[in-house]
Amino acid sequence: MEQFIISPSSGVPIYKQLFSQIERMVLNNYFSVGEQLPSVRQVATSLEVNPMTVSKAYGLLEERGYLTRLRGKGMVVAMRDDAVSQQEKLELLNTMIAQLFSQAQQMGIDEQEIITLVKASITESTLKTKESKE
Amino acid sequence: MSDLKTIINIKSLKKSYKKESVLQGVNWQVKKGDIVGLLGKNGAGKSTLIKSLLNIVGIDDGEITIFSESHRTLSAQSKGRIGYVPQENDEISWLSVGDLIKFKKQFYHHWSDEKVRELLCRWQIDTKKTMAELSPGQAQRVLIILALAPMPELLIFDEPAAALDPAARREFLKEIVTLASETDITIIFSTHIVSDLERVANKVAILDQGKICYFDDVDTTKENVVQLAIHHDESLVIDPPHMLRCRKHKLGQNCVVAKIEQSWLAEIEAKGVDISINQMGLEDIFLELTS
Repeated sequence: MEQFIISPSSGVPIYKQLFSQIERMVLNNYFSVGEQLPSVRQVATSLEVNPMTVSKAYGLLEERGYLTRLRGKGMVVAMRDDAVSQQEKLELLNTMIAQLFSQAQQMGIDEQEIITLVKASITESTLKTKESKE
Repeated sequence: MSDLKTIINIKSLKKSYKKESVLQGVNWQVKKGDIVGLLGKNGAGKSTLIKSLLNIVGIDDGEITIFSESHRTLSAQSKGRIGYVPQENDEISWLSVGDLIKFKKQFYHHWSDEKVRELLCRWQIDTKKTMAELSPGQAQRVLIILALAPMPELLIFDEPAAALDPAARREFLKEIVTLASETDITIIFSTHIVSDLERVANKVAILDQGKICYFDDVDTTKENVVQLAIHHDESLVIDPPHMLRCRKHKLGQNCVVAKIEQSWLAEIEAKGVDISINQMGLEDIFLELTS
């Protein structure tokens, strides 16, 4: 369970922290389809959080189609439509970009400057990937 | 909700010590399966509330039921379903831990020797030592073991963390979580340590000025109570609904609201006012709700 980290004092409810963490892990293919997640009890005792909190996060992940409940096996990573998961990845990125923009706006940085920064960052990371491949 | 049984029901509870009025009309209901963290400043009356509930101190006015029985005439059977860990160790100090456990066991129908053994071992308690010889932390752990041994359905802790170091506190929280995942136990614990509450409680109750002034889900509380940073020029005055506090400054105002009214937010944003919403930790929320 060391794969999950929570920060209890954060203003974000713990079930939401767990939800977004597992959501990202699924979208980043950290888990394979059909892989079993630790039980509610295992997560609750290892993180020392209320079991209801863990159930709530799992329930939400099930509702959104990331997990499926299998009888006798508990929660497993759901089979997902590639197009749907691509869409969700983009949505996730979109929220992050929106946050970036609002921060930049508060700092008084204009659109052109942000675009320049983003482009520079992309060039840098492609260079790094090339280097590591060589 | 009929499926959630009310375990504790308190109506208009009043209690004063001599001339000092401590509880001034407490109304509170705790449902089965809830893990409730009871917060309150020093002297708010948390211990008094717990002791009143358990009929350890008499009350001046009001009505309390536990398991649908009046708290004054609670049957022996119902008493056996309640575990209580007081703030201060008031157990017989000259008895050894082993003898104290044997002595206590006689009073209960249910008693898990296995749980006692497991916890004594895990918490490394020497059963040959007398209660007086134990450190406050070790004595506290013995009290916790004594409360858990009868497999209670309702557990009440008064400042359980007070004598425990951080590692021992974590062990204690783990035990609460284990109990909650195995059984439908109802737990109330008063505390100063908000981060403990944030981990294990699903409900938070705040005792302030003699009343339970706030009682809601921990998650809902964190989702609802937020800080608004509103930026606008000085001429504008904005009064958000459900406001708890507001501080105006040159570039706008910082407000804390108990809840965001979405229609209000949309309206104000349509006017071109820049609002950022910041979520708050429970400790900050507690301070806002009690100041």
